[in-house]
Amino acid sequence: MAKAKKQNPVLVPESKKLDPANMTEPVNILVVGVGGQGVIMVSKVLAQICQNLGYQVKQSEVHGMAKRGGVVFSHVRFGQQVWSPTIPVGKADVLIALEWAEGLRWMNYLRPDSGVFIADTKRIVPPFACRSRALGAEIGYSKDTPDDVKAKVCEAFAIDATEMAAKAGNERAANTLLLGALSTTLTFPTSEWKEVIARMVPPKTVDVNLSVFDQGQKWIDGSRRGEPVEGGAFVPLVQPEVNPERTMLEITAEWCKGCDICVKMCPERCLVLNKDQVAELAEPEKCTGCHICEWLCPDFAISLNPVSQEAAE
Amino acid sequence: MNKQVALKADDAKKTADGKEFNIRDYLRLDLFPHFMCPGCGHGIALRALLWAIHEQGIDKDKLAVVCGIGCSGRVGGYIDANTFHTTHGRPLAYATGLKMARPDLHVVVITGDGDCLAIGGNHLIHAARRNLDITCLMLNNEIYGMTGGQGSPTTPRDRFTTTTPAGNREPVFDACKLAEAAGAGYVGREVTIHLPRLRDLIAGGLAHKGFSFIEVMSDCTEVNGRKNDLGSSPEMVLGQTRTMRPPDYEYDSNVVDHPFRPSGLHTGVFVQSDRPEYGAAYRDMSEKLQQGRTKP
Amino acid sequence: MNSMTGQANTVNLQGNKACALGAVAAGCRFFAGYPITPSSEIAENLAKELPAVGGVFLQMEDEIASMAATLGASMGGIKAMTATSGPGFSLKQENLGYGMGAEIPCVVVNVMRGGPSTGLPTRPAQGDIMQTRWGTHGDHPVIVLAPGSVEEIYQQTARAFALSEKLRTPVIVLFDESLGHLVETVALPDVADYEKTVRKWATGKPEDYKPYHGDADGVPPMARPGDGFRVHTSGLTVAENGFPTQKPHEVDALMKRLLGKVALNNDLIESFEAVECKDAEVVIVALGVVGRAARKAVKELREAGIKAGLFRPVTLWPFPTESFRKQTAKARHIIVAEMNAGQLIHEIAEVKTGKQKVTGLNRYDGVPISPVDIKKTVKEVLGHE
Ligand SMILES: Cc1ncc(C[n+]2csc(CCOP(=O)(O)OP(=O)(O)O)c2C)c(N)n1
Ligand code: SF4
Ligand code: SF4
Ligand code: SF4
Ligand SMILES: [Mg+2]
Repeated sequence: MAKAKKQNPVLVPESKKLDPANMTEPVNILVVGVGGQGVIMVSKVLAQICQNLGYQVKQSEVHGMAKRGGVVFSHVRFGQQVWSPTIPVGKADVLIALEWAEGLRWMNYLRPDSGVFIADTKRIVPPFACRSRALGAEIGYSKDTPDDVKAKVCEAFAIDATEMAAKAGNERAANTLLLGALSTTLTFPTSEWKEVIARMVPPKTVDVNLSVFDQGQKWIDGSRRGEPVEGGAFVPLVQPEVNPERTMLEITAEWCKGCDICVKMCPERCLVLNKDQVAELAEPEKCTGCHICEWLCPDFAISLNPVSQEAAE
Repeated sequence: MNKQVALKADDAKKTADGKEFNIRDYLRLDLFPHFMCPGCGHGIALRALLWAIHEQGIDKDKLAVVCGIGCSGRVGGYIDANTFHTTHGRPLAYATGLKMARPDLHVVVITGDGDCLAIGGNHLIHAARRNLDITCLMLNNEIYGMTGGQGSPTTPRDRFTTTTPAGNREPVFDACKLAEAAGAGYVGREVTIHLPRLRDLIAGGLAHKGFSFIEVMSDCTEVNGRKNDLGSSPEMVLGQTRTMRPPDYEYDSNVVDHPFRPSGLHTGVFVQSDRPEYGAAYRDMSEKLQQGRTKP
Repeated sequence: MNSMTGQANTVNLQGNKACALGAVAAGCRFFAGYPITPSSEIAENLAKELPAVGGVFLQMEDEIASMAATLGASMGGIKAMTATSGPGFSLKQENLGYGMGAEIPCVVVNVMRGGPSTGLPTRPAQGDIMQTRWGTHGDHPVIVLAPGSVEEIYQQTARAFALSEKLRTPVIVLFDESLGHLVETVALPDVADYEKTVRKWATGKPEDYKPYHGDADGVPPMARPGDGFRVHTSGLTVAENGFPTQKPHEVDALMKRLLGKVALNNDLIESFEAVECKDAEVVIVALGVVGRAARKAVKELREAGIKAGLFRPVTLWPFPTESFRKQTAKARHIIVAEMNAGQLIHEIAEVKTGKQKVTGLNRYDGVPISPVDIKKTVKEVLGHE
């Protein structure tokens, strides 16, 4: 594996693709994300290909209590001989992150000298991402930009995979797009990848998945060649605004999980979910102070401030 | 016996010692946001419980919340009180020991449909029979939420779960009837969308001297909802009743049209009896024996 | 004054009743149980004793509930106990582990009968030696006291409360049917010190209190509900603040302290009886009722010129390893006499340091091992040299 060491921090020549047939140590691929994104599907496809090609594969997974927003990660190790199913810190050859902050959290698993970081810029703000849980604290979601990341690892790609997949017709195919990106780091033939993917995804979605797989491959190849690629722009997370003058209705953005209950239950339709899926009082003048949103918010994110309510009356 | 609660403008200002209910006074704020999925009904049930506790003027220091295992079991940990996260199915047994040892504490049990009716079914029957002064909230989401959506004793017919892949054929428990038959002094059921009524139902249970069993119909949006196409979180909450507008809280019939239960789901207070409370009965006996012993 | 023995304060007492009385004398004020032979007399006696001293007696719906209620009562702040036998002891395991993990003092009595399953409800056995050590899942601290007479049952039950309160952990009292139903004349030992031993209660500012931060002795003070601490108790692995954690260093620290607090307090926990071990060529290791037969056998063997000795662990777990090594230093043979197919022998084989040959003497036919059995084995062992 030491052979893979290189000086150039940006471009990986074709010849440096990982080829388990010529390696004594196993290849280590770490896939991370949050529940519901398809982390397991990525590692299953990879494991299946390795098996088809005659390598030993070990795959171990952890789901965060089977819930959306819970951390999910999967270690895939393959090669001539694989003993332990888990990848030690600093030994991952590729880190595939289906969610941006999860990717950053696991970055120390990458080989410092040769690791490749491939991440969807998709941001799902999970409860765990709140660094400070004190009331009124800013959302502690990582503010690292792709450039910050590039400085920390050997090679990094930040792709708007979810957005690109959505444009192609199925947001849920983002994981296949990342598989396309992953495929560029390995010597496995494209036909092999496509065959396995076609078998594993729901029959109706085969076409979309195969087309986003191509997109993923092209995106990495293009950006490696230094060509301008679309969909790689970084979308910073907007901090939800907190009105310093306490409004009658207060929303604790850090606690909101975007379940939409308040929005749909408000009789006056004065609440909306903003683009970060956080509830917002869009039309304060319409609010009657009926409390329905406050009472039915399962996350206690809405409070009606009685003091200002009286002031308003 | 059924209690009608109308939603009035001043409902929100119900007070204990004149103090407005602020849910944050009763939460361990440093643990928030809580771990439950977006839209999970257990959160709404927790609000109702805390509001009822506030209304009853119960001191947090004297409040003991005993939970089982499950998503429902994790709810208690967010309450700023003496909280006990016990073993699967056994919270009523733990609570029985605690209440007998410490009659001065208000003991509330939070349990789930699996926790309370499957693995803990025997304890429910006997807690109801003893009629010890405990308030038991069973958060019924008709599924095993925590373990990823297996069928529970309240999973309706034809519902898909990971252990009923072709649709459920096992009949369900009517937990309220079970508790009533076993002797619980106070029994009722409510859906989460009727929050003020749920609060009052729980408050009635807290005030009742004896075993109070309250079944809260709660939405498991993430597992049950998704697996059965029950709709988005708001759609699931809305599905609990016909309409959401405030005037509709004032209705005549106590039957909520439940889309998953064509026959209709009865809600309200079903039982309120003055069967003797076991703790008091035991202490009465004990006092007599102590006097007998100290007499020469 | 007892006319037979001439001693003050002597009574004719059954083992199970001695257990109940020892508990009450040590300050036990809560019992929850479920009837099972041969332990039921403990519950029956406490049903009479406890209400009369303002305590609580509860007959629960099963042994799982009994264990849970006992822990619930102890979390409420009072000394609590439950008692059972084999099948019931199996049912208690999950919640017993909860008590060990969440560090809740209580006493669990197991009056052993023949197994497996329903087995021999009215016959003695020692088949639960390993279950008391490893019965519940996961790594856990364990203290097991194994009295060998009615008097010792009284004393060790009382001591179990003191240890459990002091170390904030469940303590198991283990004896068998023959001792539980044995009636003998006993002088009741003074257990006032045990009665006075209560757990460390949390003091100071609630915001500074960490429910799972151990003191120098590895034991964290406990918060009593109602005292303003409002802590969280959980069966999940927790950080020092009492809330669940999965951070490897916090998990590791908790486990080290949990397992370490027993080792740290071994001087307090350890107890054993050694008879004529100093120059013994053959040391018989025997537990509980078998110790009685062994004591007689040793006496008779000595009279016959055979240098025999007895080592009887009263604290079964943690096994008094160092003392055992000292006592058997001179021996050439160790005979482990136990009423099972061979359980304690594994521990002996592991902890012995010398070249002693270890031989098992096992009976699992519901009949106690007799002095004759022991003498025969000793002679066989020596004859075969
Ligand atoms: C003895 C035991 N068996 C099984 C489990 C696994 N388990 C954890 S939660 C749960 C089901 C919880 O379902 P429910 O009580 O309905 O609560 P919910 O999560 O739906 O709120 C199970 C089976 C356990 N923790 N302990
Ligand atoms: S208080 Fe009533 S009107 Fe105002 S936002 Fe909430 S639901 Fe809408
Ligand atoms: S109900 Fe609460 S959690 Fe759901 S969207 Fe509204 S504020 Fe957010
Ligand atoms: S799995 Fe279901 S019950 Fe559990 S937190 Fe999520 S929505 Fe609630
Ligand atoms: Mg459930």
